[in-house]
Amino acid sequence: MSFFDNLLLGWELVSNIESFLALAVGVVVGVIAGAIPGMSATMAVALTLPFTFALSPITGILLLLGVYKGGIFGGSIPAILIKTPGTPASSATILDGYPLAEKGQAGKALGMALYASCTADLISNLALILFAGWLASFALNFGPPEFFTLILFSLTIIAGVSGQSLLRGALSALMGLLLATIGLDLVYGTNRFNFNDPNLMGGLNFIAVLIGLFAIPEILTKVWDPRGNDGSTRQLGGNWVSFAEYRACFKSIVRGSVIGVFLGSIPGIGAAPSAFLSYSEARRKSPNRENFGKGELEGVAAAEAGNNGVAGATLIPLLALGVPGDVITAIIIGAFMIHGLQPGPLMFVTNADIIYGLFMGLIISSVILLLVGSVAIRAFRFVADIPRGVLFPAVLVLCVFGVFAVNNNIFDIGVMFAMGGLGFLMLRFDLPAAPFLIAFILGPLLEDNFRQSMLMSGGSPDVLVRGPITWVFWTMTVITVVAVVRAGFRNSKQATQN
Amino acid sequence: MKKMMVGALSALALGLTAGVAVAEYPERAVTMVIPYGPGGATDISARTLADPLGKVASKPLVMINKTGAGGATGSVAVQNAKKDGYTMLFARVGSHSVNPAMKATLPYTLDDFRFVGVYEINPVACAVEAGSDIKSMDDLIAKVKGSPGSVSYSSSGVGSLLHLAGAMVLREFGVEKPLEQATHIPLKGGGAAATAVLNGTATFICTNSSALASFVSNGQLRPLMVTTAEPVTGFDAPTSVDLGKPALQQLVGWTGIAGPAGMSDEVAEVWGKYLTEATADAGFLEKMQARGSVIRLMDPKESQDFINGQYKIFRALVDELGMRIEG
Repeated sequence: MSFFDNLLLGWELVSNIESFLALAVGVVVGVIAGAIPGMSATMAVALTLPFTFALSPITGILLLLGVYKGGIFGGSIPAILIKTPGTPASSATILDGYPLAEKGQAGKALGMALYASCTADLISNLALILFAGWLASFALNFGPPEFFTLILFSLTIIAGVSGQSLLRGALSALMGLLLATIGLDLVYGTNRFNFNDPNLMGGLNFIAVLIGLFAIPEILTKVWDPRGNDGSTRQLGGNWVSFAEYRACFKSIVRGSVIGVFLGSIPGIGAAPSAFLSYSEARRKSPNRENFGKGELEGVAAAEAGNNGVAGATLIPLLALGVPGDVITAIIIGAFMIHGLQPGPLMFVTNADIIYGLFMGLIISSVILLLVGSVAIRAFRFVADIPRGVLFPAVLVLCVFGVFAVNNNIFDIGVMFAMGGLGFLMLRFDLPAAPFLIAFILGPLLEDNFRQSMLMSGGSPDVLVRGPITWVFWTMTVITVVAVVRAGFRNSKQATQN
Repeated sequence: MKKMMVGALSALALGLTAGVAVAEYPERAVTMVIPYGPGGATDISARTLADPLGKVASKPLVMINKTGAGGATGSVAVQNAKKDGYTMLFARVGSHSVNPAMKATLPYTLDDFRFVGVYEINPVACAVEAGSDIKSMDDLIAKVKGSPGSVSYSSSGVGSLLHLAGAMVLREFGVEKPLEQATHIPLKGGGAAATAVLNGTATFICTNSSALASFVSNGQLRPLMVTTAEPVTGFDAPTSVDLGKPALQQLVGWTGIAGPAGMSDEVAEVWGKYLTEATADAGFLEKMQARGSVIRLMDPKESQDFINGQYKIFRALVDELGMRIEG
């Protein structure tokens, strides 16, 4: 049977009202859950899981996939409107999305986020359908040494999001690395910096740090200087993104999608690093590099393409190898198993119809995401018009609720406010927050993979250059570092000449 | 919402039939803490049980995840909760027998909890990558002894069942110093641990059979043995008894429900009744067995003995091998 016969068979399986309904309901639930700070896409998928028990396998799994995709996009709505990422994956969207909203272009930023998300989603789904086997075997070549070099390369993003001063960016990143060491040591299981407080044993909650770092300083600034914005009013979030703008960003969107597909197919990385990597690549290639971080539409497009490009690709290790790439796909594997299906190479033989049915469903989901997303942002963008005096207290309440909801832990709210204080000081002293966050995400990955590599080789560093993948990343890291240093020298020369 | 509806409806039904049952536990909703993240083995097990439990309980049961530090964060929350039975815990082998045995700094001990029932047993299986030249436990042991340091095993982290299982299996098979002759590679989570064997980062893995079932049936992993006395469906491998190591039968995973120590007998009794009814539910049995768990309900006394017994064996091994974490 040819590939297209299979796809046709799959289409027959999903071309019914239940499947479309399941996808639509899933996307709606996902977008709403993603838009609520603290309700991550993961939680939404976990809460939907019990409802799939009664459904047929394909309908149930499509429902979960709808929630997943909706959730990843939904996270960008509060990131743009109130500087509070709904999901960790949308933290890169803040960098340019929020400045755009401040400039009165919330509608434009949201529209671009939606179009970039849907485009990336489609590319990611096509990659899954066409290259699943190839990408899966590529992903299996990723052991700790390959991971280590990839993360090392990713850390060079910090140079791209540091703003004016690389030194300030590095300082911010160092603080992020420091706070990321709190918790249990990976290899020895010993306590690190937890001051014998059980609340700190698990490390700082990621969402609490994220919201504390971005949303709280914004509110504190308002309290500090309540009349600061009196002269300017935020314009209506009414204007819409044009096709010309979409076309101008198209290259970045495709690049972000490809980055998302590669990182998504490797188990264990997740959408946040992909969004940051895509963002920094777009910035590096862009002629108006200076405008990134101050409200550049392309920045929003790249960040959203990067995180949505992951969504379809995480199903590659799931379907081709039976390996969950992240927490969400781990839950989806649970849904497969409830129905007696075992994802993995054999499933392409035993239940090929279901797999191709899922493929068709995924393609449809990109279209549904576009429709539901358009409705959602038409409703949400007017948040930008709410007077600040009403908006900020409401945001604060949402933040407190959201951070509590993640782990049902009061302590996390304290972490959020402490991080908020730190974030506020960083804002006053002109230290960028993005490097802090990237270091906080990537630092533990870097350390863990380095130590795992050392365990594998018995302490010999040879393992870090064991194959072509590691060589590629080492080379890319060296090139980027050299470029950054040269650019730094050039800037300081110009500064002295001026 | 659905759960609450069902809870409310059954409360109504019970109220109508029982009539005079006033001021009996529970009078309000009970919070059930799941100390691991959504989608993990404990979470899925707990939420599958929540369905039939919600039908027999007279008040709603609210499932919340409190994740962190290998189950310690959620466990501490229940340890410090009021002893009125309105905060209960889904305890797991990792949080309540491996962790207490291995970690001196753990903020709780087994004495801080009162177990009302263990309801699920998970057989443990050991496996290697399908293309490996290791075909049996004998091959594995020969390789560990023949070239020390060449064999490694993956786990989902320090203090996890997988960490202890690898060491315990090697020790039972006569490897004198399993931690020096083989390398333990901790990863983040069970999925990552299985992947590590698939991609050659580690040589073997010992974990719950349910975590390996799909890899085994897909021909990606080769099972070497299962620790139970009975063979496990889908695992074409000898049992620990076949291999003459019956002591390994103690090496199994489990899930149970516990409250803080000092909880009243009345509450424990109510939970014993709930669990008896809930675990007999046909839908529950079917879903759990599809995932490879063995449903076996133990009464409070038996649960306590079972967990303490497992703890003592693990603790003895930990002390012998110097695995205890003091810092």
